[in-house]
Amino acid sequence: MKTKNIILALALSAASLVSTPSTAQQKFFQAVGSPHMPKVEVAWNRYYTYEGLVDVMEKIAKAHPELAKIETIGQSYEGRDIMTLTITDFSTGKDTDKPAMWIDGNIHSNEVQGAEFALYSAWYLTEMHADTEFIQDLLRDKTFYITPTINPDARNDFFLQPNNANTPRSGMMVLDNDGDGEAGEDEMDDLNGDGHITMMIRKSPTGRYIKDPLDPRRLMPVGPDQVGDYEMVGQEGTDLDGDGRINDDDVGYYDPNRDWGWNWQPDYVQRGALRYPFTLPENRAVMEFVMKHPNIAGAQSYHNYGGMILRGPGAEEDVETYNREDIRIYDAIAKKGEEMMPGYRYLTVYKDLYSVFGGELDWFYGNRGIFTYSNELMVSYLYFHQNAGRGNQDEQLKVDQLLTFGDAFVDWESYDHPQFGEVEIGGFKKTFGRAHPGFLMEQDAHRNSAFTIYHAYHTPKLSVMDVNEEDLGGGLKAITATIFNERMMPTHSSQDLKYNIERPDYVSIEGAKVVAGFVVEDEDFKRYQEQKLRPERIAVANIPGMSAVKVRWIVSSGSNYSITVDSAKGGKASWSK
Amino acid sequence: MKKIVLSCLLVGSLGWSFPSLAQGDYPTISQLNERLKTLGNQSTAELKSLTKTAGGKDIWVLKVGTGNLDEKPAIAVVGGVEGFHVLSVELATQFAEKLINEHAEKLENTTFYIFPNMSPDAYEQYHAALKYERRGNATSVDHDRDGTAGDNGYTDLNGDGFITWMRVEDPMGDYKLSEEDDRVLVKADRSKGEAGNYLVFKESKDDDQDGKFAEDLEEGIAFNKSMTFKFPVFEPLAGDIPVSQVESRAMLDYLFEQWNIFAFVTFSPANNLSSPLKYNAQNARKRVITSILQKDEAINAMVSGMYNETISQKAYQQTNQGTDGDFFQWAYFHFGRLSFGTPGYWTPDFKGMDNPEANYLAWADSLGWNEVFVPWTEITHPNFPGKKVEVGGIKPFVMVNPPFEKVGEISEEHTEFILKLAEMQPKLEIQNLKVESIGNGLTRISLDLFNNSPLPTHSEMGERSRWLRKIRIDLNAPADRLISGEKIQLVDSIDAFGKTSLSWIIRGKGEISLKAGASHVGFINKTFNL
Repeated sequence: MKTKNIILALALSAASLVSTPSTAQQKFFQAVGSPHMPKVEVAWNRYYTYEGLVDVMEKIAKAHPELAKIETIGQSYEGRDIMTLTITDFSTGKDTDKPAMWIDGNIHSNEVQGAEFALYSAWYLTEMHADTEFIQDLLRDKTFYITPTINPDARNDFFLQPNNANTPRSGMMVLDNDGDGEAGEDEMDDLNGDGHITMMIRKSPTGRYIKDPLDPRRLMPVGPDQVGDYEMVGQEGTDLDGDGRINDDDVGYYDPNRDWGWNWQPDYVQRGALRYPFTLPENRAVMEFVMKHPNIAGAQSYHNYGGMILRGPGAEEDVETYNREDIRIYDAIAKKGEEMMPGYRYLTVYKDLYSVFGGELDWFYGNRGIFTYSNELMVSYLYFHQNAGRGNQDEQLKVDQLLTFGDAFVDWESYDHPQFGEVEIGGFKKTFGRAHPGFLMEQDAHRNSAFTIYHAYHTPKLSVMDVNEEDLGGGLKAITATIFNERMMPTHSSQDLKYNIERPDYVSIEGAKVVAGFVVEDEDFKRYQEQKLRPERIAVANIPGMSAVKVRWIVSSGSNYSITVDSAKGGKASWSK
Repeated sequence: MKKIVLSCLLVGSLGWSFPSLAQGDYPTISQLNERLKTLGNQSTAELKSLTKTAGGKDIWVLKVGTGNLDEKPAIAVVGGVEGFHVLSVELATQFAEKLINEHAEKLENTTFYIFPNMSPDAYEQYHAALKYERRGNATSVDHDRDGTAGDNGYTDLNGDGFITWMRVEDPMGDYKLSEEDDRVLVKADRSKGEAGNYLVFKESKDDDQDGKFAEDLEEGIAFNKSMTFKFPVFEPLAGDIPVSQVESRAMLDYLFEQWNIFAFVTFSPANNLSSPLKYNAQNARKRVITSILQKDEAINAMVSGMYNETISQKAYQQTNQGTDGDFFQWAYFHFGRLSFGTPGYWTPDFKGMDNPEANYLAWADSLGWNEVFVPWTEITHPNFPGKKVEVGGIKPFVMVNPPFEKVGEISEEHTEFILKLAEMQPKLEIQNLKVESIGNGLTRISLDLFNNSPLPTHSEMGERSRWLRKIRIDLNAPADRLISGEKIQLVDSIDAFGKTSLSWIIRGKGEISLKAGASHVGFINKTFNL
């Protein structure tokens, strides 16, 4: 047995001596900041189905067993495993003993690239670990929980079934959207069979549009005194249920991002909500994972699109939930993000976007006290470094002409429609506009990953900075310990403190006989708050960011004592004499 | 069988007496299960266990009806919303028994869903060796959020098997003896310069040594404090998220698939039947609505009037019209159904006393109920060395649940109320039907779809909900024969005694059929021979 192992090890090292360095020298040279010989080869200029994502995740976990573990945290509505990667340096401690960052993507199924961006972080951290001191330190101190897609069913539907750029937003549960007592009886029809639901136009003597003579892809309105020759018929499809409306009862409709349990409201208040919070098994799986991992201190949930770093509150009614102390930290991290991701702006959901209840980021912060952002990925700034705005058709046509060479557009083609007669079908593909074109993906994935790394870096980092002894006479001495948090986030956000969401941080002394224990309120003026019960384990409500707290014990014996700090969100630290 | 039960009641103890006698007291869980299974064997009833609680107990629903159950309007009757309100379980169960055995003819027009007991884990405390008014289920919850679950529940300090109260003589206390009855303690009115001389706590010790008493109970989440409407997040017995418990989810998941329920009758402390909820324009206009809507207030008032005519007991101190996270408000505000609630029983006005406990004790004394009060008796308490601590007070359960022999009459009256409510259900009819030939083989069909009911087909709240269906009218005519008028029409609502007018023009001869309705309104079918 033993010999076999040795032989195997020798064989492996021999193989690596022979093959790896030489091919590297011959074929590749490292570009700054990227792995040039990754153990897991991934192309970052294409999209991955659910199976494709899981395949990469499994390869990462297999190639880096000391840094990555893969697990399923629950099943989707259609029974797919929701897969999570845990990334940390396991040789320096359990993942749950370190402050953690949660990253997910794709809660809205058409907002696909969040999955690739989240996956890129996992890949980058594991592949760069060996050569980058910063990442070694980071994974020594922190844990990343990365769940590329929390909506695997409808992710695959987006890619593999006919859709447009906005569908499906929900998962695959089918509801009665038109109130007629039947569910999903008028879904979208891909009439020309190209996998994209585009638009239908029809020649008409009373039409108000013409095709642009300079660019026949573009349908333009005629002047108020002119007669056109095309009319808009609507979305590609037919009226399957005979109620006079096209595609009016497809999968859904509900919104997975109105299903979260902070100040949840029903559908008539908040369109898209389901029966009660966490009706969706995907969200329930995430909620249960987060509840079981109180070490999660920061979170990112990727959406698209528009180039935004969003924070809560989602609903105007929740303005009081976010107070000034926490907003200072939100601001500091996100302002840095604006520099790291050109074209992205830091915004607040309820006032800059829309006022909505039941969003994921509000639950993470409101219910768990976790500092959370949602990045709205992809912004048109990335095309020509101009701010042409969301859905600017002229710019999009130019992109497709100059950069993607017609690949983004389905040219108008005639179709004999059962209800409308002869129509033309065409328009932008589902994978254009909201989703990144391939050539922009890796750069933006890297920038967003760097932002989540910065975010994770500023979860608390605690140390026992300083321990002072004072002889009080009569065999008594006072021990004062300073606990320092050298990062921006506190161990308890103000929301956490308001509701006692997480237990206090504990600072304990061992190896000394404790007579009394205190939290030091003001050392200079000797103001101490005594803790009568269990004085050897002082409960500290919070250790603020970039600040220290002090605890004090009066002990009657013990010279070889040790002091430990145990914080749910701040990790562990220790000191011994 | 009925006679046997009756005679058992007569020989059973009159008034309150513990421990319980088999037939003279509220049933145990297993006795209830037997009765429900008996009902489930009837041809008109289907008994289903929706799930098992953390305590391993079934959450039952009895679906009662005949014919096409899902196409008839339905009433849901809910008991055990609060575990200590054992009466409510009996009222729901007896309603089911009376409905099935004595009023089967009502099932021609109405379907019933009966949820006899939504808090079986807590209900069991009534029969346990240590009796106390319990709300939470059997999950483990850290109510005081100190990091340890359930580490400061009650302690039976005087060993009498009841959790009552303890009072500590203390010049800094905030309670004093009531002037109406010196067995009762009331808060000293500081605004009148009154001094207190007692601290009052539930019977307990400070087990987790945090200076608080009975603040981290050894029970889990309360069904009636964990629904989504005004969910009291992070409060004891409510938890971190609404609808967190398997029994709540199982019930709601079931309800969301029963499209025919038009009204709920909930037996719980909340009461909008003795007097209706009041409309508040400001709260009704906000995005998050917290007032009954105006048209629904009128419905509530009408049904409340009918309740007060049916129920002999006069309302007294019925001020609870909903509490945060409760079920009764959820059914209206978040499920869009008409929702009626009553505790079924309360202490009547007796000698006009303000304090409910003093009023109750005076009434109990007058009836000779000597077992309802534990006289204050001194004990030694580990957390109050050197202080006088006494245990005593009104026994658990007795103020909200009558002696068992009174249940029969309460049940009889409430059954009558529910059946009267069923009589009021929306009812579609065709009026002013005209089938006229307009020449050239064309026929015009016109009619009024009339709701012959004092209730609208949709409450104002229900109209907003996606979880109530619209009224759908299908004219089953081939496309080439339908000259005008729609094959499928949806109508949002028809008022009480209101109508919607419809017409179509059809080409040619032969049968044309019409179907109109919605699950919670019922359906009508009509065939026209052209």
